[in-house]
Amino acid sequence: MATLPLTGSWITQARQRFWRLAPGDREPVTLRHRRIYILPTRRGLALIATLVIMLLTSMNYALSLGYAMTFLASGMVAAALLATFRNLAGLASSPVAAGEAFAGGDVTFTLALASGQRERIGIIVTASGGAPAIVDLPADATRPVMLTVAARRRGAQPLGRVTLSTDFPLGLWRGWAYVHFPLAACIYPAPESAAPPLPASRLGIDPQRAARAADAELGGLRAYERGDPHNRIAWKAVARGAGWYTKQFEGGAGGGAVDLDWSELPPMLDEELRLSRLTAWVLAAERETRAFALRLPGTELPHGQGAGHRRAALVALASFPRMNPA
Amino acid sequence: MKENTAPTPLTRTQLGVLAALLLCAQMPLWAHIDRWISVVGTALVIARLVFPFDRSNLRNLRRWLLPGFALAAAIGIRVEYGYFLARDPCVAFLYVLVGIKFLEARGTRDGALLVCLALFLALTQFFYAQTLLAAVAAMPALLATGIALAVLRTSAAASEPWRPHVRATARLILQGVPIAALLFVLFPRLAAPLWGSPLESGARTGLSESMSPGSISDLSLSDEVAFRVEFSSAPPPPSQRYWRGPVFARFDGATWRPLYKLRSGQFVPPSGRAADYTVTMEPHGKLWLFALEHPTGPPHAPNPDAPAGAATEALAIVTYDQQLLAKAPITQAVRYTVRSATVDTFAALGNDASDNLQLPHGNPRTIEFARDLRARSASDRAYITAVLDWFRTESFVYTLSPDLLDRDPVDGFLFDTHRGFCEHFAGAFALLMRAAGIPSRVVTGYQGGEMNPTGEYMIVRQSDAHAWAEALLDGKWQRIDPTAAVAPSRIERGIGAALPAGERIPYLARIEMTWLKSLRLHWDSVNYHWQRGFVGFNLERQHDFLRDIGLKGAPPWRIVALLAAAAFIWGISVLGFSRLRRSRDDAEVALWRRACRKLARAGLERRPDEGPLAYADRAAVRWPAVAALIKAIAERYALLRYGPAAARTEESVAQLRASVSSLPPARELRAT
Repeated sequence: MATLPLTGSWITQARQRFWRLAPGDREPVTLRHRRIYILPTRRGLALIATLVIMLLTSMNYALSLGYAMTFLASGMVAAALLATFRNLAGLASSPVAAGEAFAGGDVTFTLALASGQRERIGIIVTASGGAPAIVDLPADATRPVMLTVAARRRGAQPLGRVTLSTDFPLGLWRGWAYVHFPLAACIYPAPESAAPPLPASRLGIDPQRAARAADAELGGLRAYERGDPHNRIAWKAVARGAGWYTKQFEGGAGGGAVDLDWSELPPMLDEELRLSRLTAWVLAAERETRAFALRLPGTELPHGQGAGHRRAALVALASFPRMNPA
Repeated sequence: MKENTAPTPLTRTQLGVLAALLLCAQMPLWAHIDRWISVVGTALVIARLVFPFDRSNLRNLRRWLLPGFALAAAIGIRVEYGYFLARDPCVAFLYVLVGIKFLEARGTRDGALLVCLALFLALTQFFYAQTLLAAVAAMPALLATGIALAVLRTSAAASEPWRPHVRATARLILQGVPIAALLFVLFPRLAAPLWGSPLESGARTGLSESMSPGSISDLSLSDEVAFRVEFSSAPPPPSQRYWRGPVFARFDGATWRPLYKLRSGQFVPPSGRAADYTVTMEPHGKLWLFALEHPTGPPHAPNPDAPAGAATEALAIVTYDQQLLAKAPITQAVRYTVRSATVDTFAALGNDASDNLQLPHGNPRTIEFARDLRARSASDRAYITAVLDWFRTESFVYTLSPDLLDRDPVDGFLFDTHRGFCEHFAGAFALLMRAAGIPSRVVTGYQGGEMNPTGEYMIVRQSDAHAWAEALLDGKWQRIDPTAAVAPSRIERGIGAALPAGERIPYLARIEMTWLKSLRLHWDSVNYHWQRGFVGFNLERQHDFLRDIGLKGAPPWRIVALLAAAAFIWGISVLGFSRLRRSRDDAEVALWRRACRKLARAGLERRPDEGPLAYADRAAVRWPAVAALIKAIAERYALLRYGPAAARTEESVAQLRASVSSLPPARELRAT
């Protein structure tokens, strides 16, 4: 079943049925007549007004052919209504993925649209607060649709209600349907823009060496291992087909492991700022290919390195409970 | 509905399609509006296509040139027509306006406005003509409307092709035809216009409200159809085909006019051979209806079902001088059934002699001549015979191009030029009668009519327009046609036979039956049925139709309910129809399912998770005799369904179909 059974009072149910305000849809949702709304566009209203004037003229001047032409045009407008409906009916959509992003950036959600047995033309997919994506689908095809919206604030950001609409074929009618999937993106805290340098390593590595990390020179290549940062991969070698290697730098690389600890941050920092700074440090540690451990109240990540570790840390920072929900 | 505030600029394709739409809407009007207006309006459309206007040009155009253009056009049209706030000048202005608007059109919103204007403009041609040709001429505009809307919708793609939209739009129009047909027959027709008089003066050809030299000979040059007649009895011979129209009794020396006051009269039932017929009259914007001399009763709406003589509402009244006058100007084609007695005389209603003896000043030689001749004649009848003999023996010439006469035109015609058309003869004759003390008047109408060999009806054309005279003798009005004395062939065989060689004769009035004329008669027959069946679908015809389908007098809600139900059925069937069309694409799936069903009935069902090839392998083991066939089916299906698109050809589907068909029936398979 594509939709969860409706519960609650009849008002809630009706609101949910008509406006899909809650994420009640499970995959995939096939649009049927109960979900599809159609109203004339402005252009459609203008044309209908023209038809009314044509009708009045035909009536006044008793123009049989005027009636015929007016009614033929009306028939075309009515057939366009059906075509608009048909363009949406049977279209299936399902949630595919929710992206991850830093607050203040853009986050991308992915839905899949399946055309069913009919060609679909000019399907406009709009997420609230995002730019519309316009999709054409051949028959029997499934296509991903990327919806990019602004990543507003740290934490889970639901996709919200998505509108599938179309004004195919003549732009006289706009048909639309709402789908509301429980899809939520993970928004990391925005990294602090002018964050202080990484805290000194517990292992007593010379901080000046760490500071020089950026000046490191390419020392050589070693075989790629899972988890090596992307920016260290020798892409040229990959492109040549020579295999996967990771660049090693001399002089930088490994100022040693750092501990990123919530409790050791200056006490006057507020919670979000702490998270921002920790985020910046996680990114910095990754850039410098230094292992790091992350300790947050209630969460602890041991020392580690690589994309997986970085993501785990960022997710932990993103999902840190909000003390004072705004 | 989101509309961008910044206009989306029109692409090249959109401009092209809009131009095509505007030209399609303008073209049918070329024949009906002034030459210079049509040239200017169309030139503006083409100008926009030919000259690129960039943004800065457009801004200047918008601000100064275009309002100026519009004003100039309005003034020009006002000067041309003499008035502005009327139908024809407004059509002309709209014609130019779409060009002006197109010249400055920038965004898709301007485009949408142009589509609406063009659609309306395409309708206005029906003010002037509702022929089959006009209907055909409107179709491109309708099609272009849909294409333009489709192209305007896709504003993003600059190189969006327009051709696919042609088919798509044609399909939409065809799908809408049932709805259009239903609305056409069920939408209530009005008995009277909503506003104003729908007819412009001078817009139609036909007899006029007065007769002066030239008024009928002008008409005689027109091939236009005045009316068509279907006889339910045998048509009368040509010499009795006098279609009575306006009667003129007031003469000022040059022009004959009707009496100031038309008195209503009653039908004077003459005895004589009766003719029953139905007239389909083209609109002429005047009141009169034409009937053979002389009608015995009022015209009725034709109703084949009603018993003869059944009381239906009369369409016209009869005047004291036996004219039929409709209640409102004939602005649309009208059909009526009349019965006439084909006689040339009828009893006068009371004494209307005084109205028909008035003599104007002037024309002294005519009056002198009449008095002299009357004095030499034994009786009124002898005098009439003498006058007709005089016409016959003097060298009078029946011609379309008589000499122009300024002062005392009757004198000039009778004694100097001797050249005239029927209005000269009829007018002069009536004057000769009055001068001799015989009450007399001029009757105009049509004389003749040609049977259309293809349509079983008679066509009466404007070129059959005629004038004759009537004289009151012994309390009876007697038809006397002096033209018949001068040019008897006019009466027997029409104007084409009567005019001397070398005269300009309207093409269809010529008597020789060329193949071209025959073709035109066939075309007229088509147009006649078109007029009757389609254009003439008015209030009466709608009533008849509703009565036939049992809806006459039905409350409006029943008709609305019928429409709603029909619309629902239509929607379902259009949606369902496209579902049927679509399933053709999945032929291979249907064929594969058929093969699977057959094998399942034979005892080997495909598991839900089993692919076609695996299933075929299993089936091949079970039925080794048809192993190759089963495998071939599965492989072809897999190739069609999952292979490259290029592999999906009509032949390979046909081959799959052949293989599936050649699979033995389940019964046989089960037995092995």
